[in-house]
Amino acid sequence: MFRTSLLAGLLALSAATPVLAQTMAPSIDQPVTITFYNYNLATAGLGAEATQKLINEFMAANPNVTVTGIGYSSADSSRIQADLAAGQPIDLVQTVFSDLDFSVHNFGAQALEDIAPAEEITAHLAGMHPNGTKLGVLDGKTYGLAYTFSTPVLFYNVDLFREAGLDPDAPPATWEELKAAALAIEEKTDAEGFSAGITGPSAVDWLFQGIVRSNNGEVISRDRKTLKFAEPEAVEAVKMLRDLNDAGVYEVYEGLGAVDAMSSGSLGMYLQTSALQSGLVKGAEGNFELRSAAMPRFGDKPTRPNNSGSALTIHTTDPLKQRAAWELMKFLTSDHGYTVITSEIGYLPLRPAIVTDPNYLADWVAEHPLVAPNLEQLDRLEPWDPMPGPNYRQIVKTMMDAVEMSIFGGADVEATLADAQANAQALMP
Amino acid sequence: MTTEALRAPRIATRPLRRISEKSGLDTAAGHVLMVLLSIFCLFPVYWMLASSLRPANAMFETSLVPTSMSLDNYTQAIDAIPIARMLINTLVFSVLSTVFQLLTGIIAAFAFARWKFRFDKLVYTAIALTWLVPFQVVMIPNYLLIAQMGLLDSVAALILPNLAAALAILLLAQAMRGFPREVIEAARMDGARNWRILWEVLVPNLRGTIASLAILIFISSWNEYFWPLLLSRTAENSVIQIGIQMFMTAEGNQWGPLMAASTLASLPVLLIYIVLQRQVVQSFMKSGIR
Repeated sequence: MFRTSLLAGLLALSAATPVLAQTMAPSIDQPVTITFYNYNLATAGLGAEATQKLINEFMAANPNVTVTGIGYSSADSSRIQADLAAGQPIDLVQTVFSDLDFSVHNFGAQALEDIAPAEEITAHLAGMHPNGTKLGVLDGKTYGLAYTFSTPVLFYNVDLFREAGLDPDAPPATWEELKAAALAIEEKTDAEGFSAGITGPSAVDWLFQGIVRSNNGEVISRDRKTLKFAEPEAVEAVKMLRDLNDAGVYEVYEGLGAVDAMSSGSLGMYLQTSALQSGLVKGAEGNFELRSAAMPRFGDKPTRPNNSGSALTIHTTDPLKQRAAWELMKFLTSDHGYTVITSEIGYLPLRPAIVTDPNYLADWVAEHPLVAPNLEQLDRLEPWDPMPGPNYRQIVKTMMDAVEMSIFGGADVEATLADAQANAQALMP
Repeated sequence: MTTEALRAPRIATRPLRRISEKSGLDTAAGHVLMVLLSIFCLFPVYWMLASSLRPANAMFETSLVPTSMSLDNYTQAIDAIPIARMLINTLVFSVLSTVFQLLTGIIAAFAFARWKFRFDKLVYTAIALTWLVPFQVVMIPNYLLIAQMGLLDSVAALILPNLAAALAILLLAQAMRGFPREVIEAARMDGARNWRILWEVLVPNLRGTIASLAILIFISSWNEYFWPLLLSRTAENSVIQIGIQMFMTAEGNQWGPLMAASTLASLPVLLIYIVLQRQVVQSFMKSGIR
């Protein structure tokens, strides 16, 4: 009886106590070690080097903080799941935007509004592009700060454009123009006309979401409760891609073959994340001129591109570690942080002012004109909506399998998408 | 009959085939076929080597011989990942996995082949069934155990779940059961006890099977990917297969350094194969890859 009363009392007390906001320590007054799960660190090359450089700079400026960088595969997050099960500390994570909902509900990602002082959040977000700050917002709270992200751009081979009699100074601005340009390349050169990273094993649905939105559709409702990828606007967008395939100008490659095709000069146009820029530039060097343009639009409808990439999410509940993670998060998304991320990895700067600031990116942007369409699209950027619930990956797969069958498999577009939508809706929470 | 007599080389008793009976045309056709098959098998290795020497902007050239060659990709690969450390880790992991799996396999197989004990068939069947369970299924439980032991991100933790393997026990038990019982009885009459029979009679006579098994274990350990991927948290404590994969990034694949790292990674296995080529071929012919 006493035990029952005690339990009831504790429950009543916990219910009466409001959730404590701004839980983090006010400062770092003692040594603390935090883990930083980062998928760039699991790679060799520019992403890992730049990330480690930023971590080292942060530790030098904050001698009380030790940051242990842990590389993980963003493809399955199995390391994070395994480490959670094993009781390993997970403090700060580079989270792919499509995993954000799962990360909040299963990996304990904390809303910044719940742990950080409001004035500090406001001060840090000042100067950031408003379209960028909303990328990590879920159900009204900021769980992630956009970290390494980009938009879809149309890379094109200027030499092939000239060979096909096209004007490289006027790249396709609409899908109709793209089709005409691709047909010309197919007819007048030995190269393939067009490809895109919309489908494929590593594509997820980020590019598809942007294409459907650009036709004024949605793949999921604003409240993220109802799937909408079989509605007329989405069907029309898929039919447009199917038409490109039926016309013989939409080349489908195995895996990342399209990247290699573009690098080797055997593909005229490639719609993909701007993050591929540095790799494509290396392949083109001395072989052909590579340029980029904004994502094509449907008729006169303005495009509504969304982002690929990742946000930073704080997972620790320890006040001191939260403070350390927040300080690292602020450093990585500062003027200097975005300068390194943009110039050394190839992602977008979320702080527009640094683009023209000679102390930061002005010189680099002048030397790298390919980044211009990417920057221009920031003004129309919309979030990559994460699918909700524990079946979120199966929902994406069901949708994208149907899209792939509709574009390349000869399936009836309306029926295939409707069938997939019904199946995927049953997987929603 | 002494154990020394058993170690004496066997004299081939089968008659030699008369090669001269074959027509010259057959021999020439056979050679042409073999040469073509050799080219077919070696071409990917050659292409890997050639690609590792091509600069980034010539990576997709289709010429057989690179038009321009440099060792930049090797420099990049060595700078980007601790390749020597990873190769040493892989070697330690592969050698120790092979040694322990052979050791536990030989002892367990001897028990199954030599004695009948209560539930022996049940235990044997249970071991056989574990072979059917993919490693991915037990990967997370193993990971939790390793974490509790405080061994995360260590080469020792890579080896621990690979100390024993069903394949080794099954293959060796089968080979030991097929070994002539009379020979074992003769050794026993000469005063040899079980330990001596195992190491001085059975093992020397099963060296073909053991060699082929060792090669299989070594190569599969060398190519192990999933377990190190989950377990290793730093490149310094990881293996070369993870190092190679690190060149495949969200920002595109770095084919040049990837091919350079792959070339360096395949050298040790290639060297082992060249040194042990005769033993490998003989053992595979003798026991097959059962």
